[in-house]
Amino acid sequence: MQKINKNVVLALLSLTSLVFLLFQLYYYKFYLSQKNGTVFSKVRGSQSGQDSTRWHVVRKFLGLISSHNIPVYLIDPLILGLVDKDIEQIRSSPDGPSPECKYFCAPRDFTTFALLDKTWKHEVGLFRTAEKMGFQWLKIINKDPRLDGMDDLSGIEIPLHYIFKLASHAIHLVVFYERSGNYLWHGPLRLKQHMDRKFVPFRKLHFGRYPGAYEKPELLLVSIDDLKVQIPKNPSNFLEEMSHSRFLECRYREARAFFQLYPDDASLDAVEFRKKAKSLLHLAALTLNNLGVKFWLSSGTCLGWYRQCNVIPHSKDVDLGVFIRDYKADIIPAFQKAGLPLKHKFGKVEDSLELSFQGEDDVKLDIFFFYEEDDYIWNGGTQAKSGKKFKYLFPKFTLCWTEFVELKVHVPCETRQYVEANYGPDWKVPVKLWDWKSSPSNVQYNGVWPVDEWDDVIQVY
Amino acid sequence: MDEWKPNPTVKPHKKRSWYLAWKYKLMNQRALRKLCQTGAVLFLLVTVIVNIKLILDTRRAAYEEEEESAQDYDDEMLNVEVPRHPVSNKKVLDVEVYSSRSKVYVAVDGTTVLEDEAREQGRGIHVIVLNQATGHVMAKRVFDTYSPHEDEAMVLFLNMVARGRILIFTIKDEGSFHLKDTAKNVLKSLGSQVAPFLSWRDMWTFVGKKGGEVYGEKHAKSPALSTWGDPVLLKTEVHLTSVEDAECHWPDTELNRRRKRFCSKVEGYGSVCSCKDPTPIEFNPDPLKDNKVFDVPVAVIAGNRPNYLYRMLRSLLSAQGVNPQMITVFIDGYYEEPMDVVELFGLSGIQHTPISIKNARVSQHYKASLTATFNLFPDAKFAVVLEEDLDISVDFFSFLSQSIHLLEEDESLYCISAWNDQGYEHTAEDPSLLYRVETMPGLGWVLRKSLYKDELEPKWPTPEKLWDWDMWMRMPEQRKGRECIIPDISRSYHFGIVGLNMNGYFHEAYFKKHKFNTVPNVQLKNVESLRKDAYETEIHRLLGEAEVLDHSKNPCEDSFVPDTEGRVYVMFIRMEQEADFTTWTQLAKCLHIWDLDVRGNHKGLWRLFRKKNHFLVVGVPASPYSSKKPSSVTPIYMEPPAKEEGAVAVPAVAAAEQT
Repeated sequence: MQKINKNVVLALLSLTSLVFLLFQLYYYKFYLSQKNGTVFSKVRGSQSGQDSTRWHVVRKFLGLISSHNIPVYLIDPLILGLVDKDIEQIRSSPDGPSPECKYFCAPRDFTTFALLDKTWKHEVGLFRTAEKMGFQWLKIINKDPRLDGMDDLSGIEIPLHYIFKLASHAIHLVVFYERSGNYLWHGPLRLKQHMDRKFVPFRKLHFGRYPGAYEKPELLLVSIDDLKVQIPKNPSNFLEEMSHSRFLECRYREARAFFQLYPDDASLDAVEFRKKAKSLLHLAALTLNNLGVKFWLSSGTCLGWYRQCNVIPHSKDVDLGVFIRDYKADIIPAFQKAGLPLKHKFGKVEDSLELSFQGEDDVKLDIFFFYEEDDYIWNGGTQAKSGKKFKYLFPKFTLCWTEFVELKVHVPCETRQYVEANYGPDWKVPVKLWDWKSSPSNVQYNGVWPVDEWDDVIQVY
Repeated sequence: MDEWKPNPTVKPHKKRSWYLAWKYKLMNQRALRKLCQTGAVLFLLVTVIVNIKLILDTRRAAYEEEEESAQDYDDEMLNVEVPRHPVSNKKVLDVEVYSSRSKVYVAVDGTTVLEDEAREQGRGIHVIVLNQATGHVMAKRVFDTYSPHEDEAMVLFLNMVARGRILIFTIKDEGSFHLKDTAKNVLKSLGSQVAPFLSWRDMWTFVGKKGGEVYGEKHAKSPALSTWGDPVLLKTEVHLTSVEDAECHWPDTELNRRRKRFCSKVEGYGSVCSCKDPTPIEFNPDPLKDNKVFDVPVAVIAGNRPNYLYRMLRSLLSAQGVNPQMITVFIDGYYEEPMDVVELFGLSGIQHTPISIKNARVSQHYKASLTATFNLFPDAKFAVVLEEDLDISVDFFSFLSQSIHLLEEDESLYCISAWNDQGYEHTAEDPSLLYRVETMPGLGWVLRKSLYKDELEPKWPTPEKLWDWDMWMRMPEQRKGRECIIPDISRSYHFGIVGLNMNGYFHEAYFKKHKFNTVPNVQLKNVESLRKDAYETEIHRLLGEAEVLDHSKNPCEDSFVPDTEGRVYVMFIRMEQEADFTTWTQLAKCLHIWDLDVRGNHKGLWRLFRKKNHFLVVGVPASPYSSKKPSSVTPIYMEPPAKEEGAVAVPAVAAAEQT
C-alpha cells in the first residue's frame, strides 16, 4: 500500500512539474509576442520563425530616407557585429540576392542609423511623409555644444536624435555633427519633461546614454538581406571605436565663472604662449596618433581644460599622459623627426619613465608614463641633480574624448578626481609658483636611483 | 502573475519526496527506481528555480521599462515650460491711446505696447498695427512728420499694411508741420475725421481698421502757436475677427507655411504678404559652375533693423551660387522681428546677448559671430562676412569663387573685399578688374580662418575698449603689411541710412553714388596678376604704358583728363613720406571720393577711373613708383584749406554734397 502510494505521489509530482514547464514555455512565448507585435504577417517564407517586422520597418525607413535624398548609414552594433563576420563575402558580392534574412530579422526593438547633419537640410517634408507612411516619430533636441563655449549666444537647439516607430519596431537615427578638431560628435539622449517616456524602451538604445566622438567613417554601400544600405567600411573598427567613444564636454559654465573670479591674462605673452602651446599640442597629437599611441591631457594641461577650457598661460609647458603598456621605442625618433628634440629622459620603461621634448621657444612637451597597479595608477618623477625619485598617485580612471584647442583628445573621464589628486581640493585657485616635487598633493618620496644606473635613468640633453 | 502563487506549495512536496525517497531507498534497494525518483525530484527542483527566476526576470523587466527613462535619459535641467496664455476666445480688445506733448502710450487689454516719454525723442505720429484676429502687435513705427519727407514714408508704410489690420495712431509733441495733403488724405481714407484739419501742436489719437470701421478718434486743438493741445486719452473697444478671416489663403506648401507664420506676426514688408501673387521667398538663382565658395560659410551680422535685413537677405539669396545652408544670421540682441525675417527665408539665426556699449558692442558681436561661424563649420577655411545693410551683387559668389584661391595661396593677402572705397559712379568702370590695396574695406569680405583663429581672436579688443572692430583690424599691428583684394566695381552696396556711425547726410555724401555691379557672370581678368610679385610687374607695365598728364592744369578740373576713352593716364602728387597724405586728401575731396581717411592705396599709388580712362596717381617721392616720373614733371601739391577748429568731417561732407 505504502509502496503504491509513493509511486503515485512521485508520478503526480512529475506531472505537476511538467505542467509547470509547459506553462512556463507558453508564458514566455506570450511575453515575447507581446513585445514584438504581430502587425506584419510573416511573408518572407525563407525566414519563417524569424521576425520580419523589423525587416519591413527598416525597408520602409530606407525608402522614406532615399525618397528625400538623405544619406544615412547603418551603425547598429548588433548588425554590424554580424556583418563584420561576413564582411569579405558582403564586399565581394555587393548586389547578390541573399538566400536568407540573416541580419535584419533578429527580433530587436531598434535598428540604429546615423545621419551626418550637414548632408541634409532639415526639411519638414520628411516627417510629413513619414507620418503618411505610418511612422510615429520623436525628435530629441538640445543645445548646440558648438556654441556652448561662447558666453552670450542663445545657443540654438539642434536635433540630436530621431526615433521613427512603426508597429513594434523603432528606427533610432543618431545625428552626427562635425566639430572643430575634425571629428564627428553625437549628443546624449535626454528627454524633456513633456516627452513620452514610454515611446520606446529608451534604456535599450545603443547610443545616447553619453555623447560620443568618432572619426569620420569611410562608407561602403552594401546589400544585405536584399536591402541596400551604407555601412562603415570597416565595421570592426567602428565597433571598437564605439566601445570607448564617450565624450565629455568642457565645463564652459564653470570656466566662465572661473574667469569672472580670475580674469584671463590677455597680455601679448599669454597670447603668444597659448598659440605655441596649441601648435605644440597639435604636433604632439599628430605624432602620437600616427604611432597609434593613446595619450591624454595630464597635469597642468588637464587642469587648464577642466578649469578654464583653455591653456593656462603661466603653465609654460604641455603635459601628456601615456599608459606604459602603450609605450613604443619609436616615440623618441618620431618626435625628433617632427622637429621636437629630446630634452631629457628620466627613468626606464620598467620604472618612472618620463620624456621631455623641446618645442618652439622654451615651450616644453612632457610625456609622463603611467603604471597601473591593482587599486591605483601612478607616474614617476626624477630630480636630475640628486637622483631622487618621486611617485604621483592617482585613483583609477578610464579615458574619455573631449575637444581642446580644436583637437579631439583624451582626458580621464573621472577628471575631477584626477585633478584633485594632483592639485588638491584647492585646484580652483590659480597658483603661479608650482614646485613639481612638493606642491602636488599626491606626491610620494620614492627613494633614490642607484648611482650606477644614473647614466641610463637620468639623461639630460 | 498570480498563477505563479501556487509555486511555494511545491516546496513541501519536494521535501516530502526527498524524505520518501530516502525511506524507499532503505526499504528497497533497486537502483533503477532510485534513479528515477531522484531524477524526478531534481527535475522538480529545477522547475521551481526556473519558475522563480522567470518571475523575477519579468518583474524586473517590467519595472525597468517603467523606470528607464526616468533616470539616465532625463534632461537634468527641468525645463518647466511656462504655460502659454491660452489663446483667449475673447472677441473684444480694450484699447487705450494717449497723446500729449511729452508722452504717448498705447495699452491693449491692459498691456502697454507703446510708451514713450523720453525727452527730445519720438516726436511725430506713432503708428501701431495690430493683428485683427489675435490682437498682437505686428508693427510699431514713428514718423517724425514735423520734418520733411517723413509723411511720404508714412504713406508708403500705411499702403503696405494689409487690409483688415487694426491701426492705432497717436501724436507726440508735434506731427502736422510737414504732414502734406497726400498723407492727410490717406488718413482720411482710413476713416479719420480730424486728419484733414490737423494743425500745429494738435493732440490726436485714432483707432481704426484698414479698409473698415473706425473704433474711435479724439482730438485736442492747440489754442495758440506757443502752446500745445490738451492731452487726449482715447478708450475704445475693438472687435476681433476669426483667424481665418485674418489670413490669406495661399496654397499649403512648406514655403507658404513660413510665409503665413511671418505675415501673421509682422507688418510692413509689402507684397511678401499679399494674398494675391505674393513676392516669392525662394529665389533659386542659377548655380555657379565650378563654385569654389559653395562650402564657405556666410555670416550675416545683424542688429535690430529687420527691414534692412529683409532687403539684404533677398539680394543675398538671389545671388548666383548662393548656398542657403551655409548662411547664419547673427542678431545682436533678443529681437523678435529680425528672427522672424530669418525664419521667413528658412535660414538659421542666432541671437547674441549684447555686451558693452556702442562700438564695443558691435565689436563684441563681430567676435562672437566669427567664432561661432568657425565652430559651426569646423571644416571651413574661410568665412564670408556680411552686414545687414548691404545689397549683394548678383555675381558676388562668382567674384569670390574666381579669386578665393589667392587668399589661400598668397600669404601677403589679408582679405578679399567686395567693396571698393573709391569706386563711385564716376570713378569705377571695369567690372572685371581687381586691385590690391593696403586698406581693409570691409562691407562684404572674406576672412581666412587661420588669420582669425591664430591672430585676431586671441587679441580681439575686450568689451571695455570702445574701438571699432574694423579700425582695429586696419591697425598695422594686426594688418602687418598685408593687403586686400578688391574689385574696381563693388560687389556690395551699402544702403543703410540709420546706424551707429551713419546718418542721412553722411550716407548721401559717401555711399549713395557708389557704383554697384549688376552684370551677372563677370569673368575676372588677370586674377593671377594679383599675386604679390605679379602685381608689381603689372603695375610697372601699366605705368610704362601710361601717358603723363599735363601737370600745369588743375587736377580738380574736368579738363585735366582729356576727353578720351580706354586710355591710361598717370599724375604725380607730392607725398614726402609714407604717411604724408596731404595732397591726396585734397585731391580726393575735389574728386568727390572717400576723403575721411586714406583708402585704396598700394605703395603710394591709387588707381581709379576718370572719364572712362584708367587714372593712376603716384605719390612722389614716397612711392617706389616715383622712378617712373619724368624729370621734367613737378609733382602737384595741394594745400589743405585753413583748418576750422575741431571740424574735419563737416567740410568734407559739405564738399561731397555738391556733387
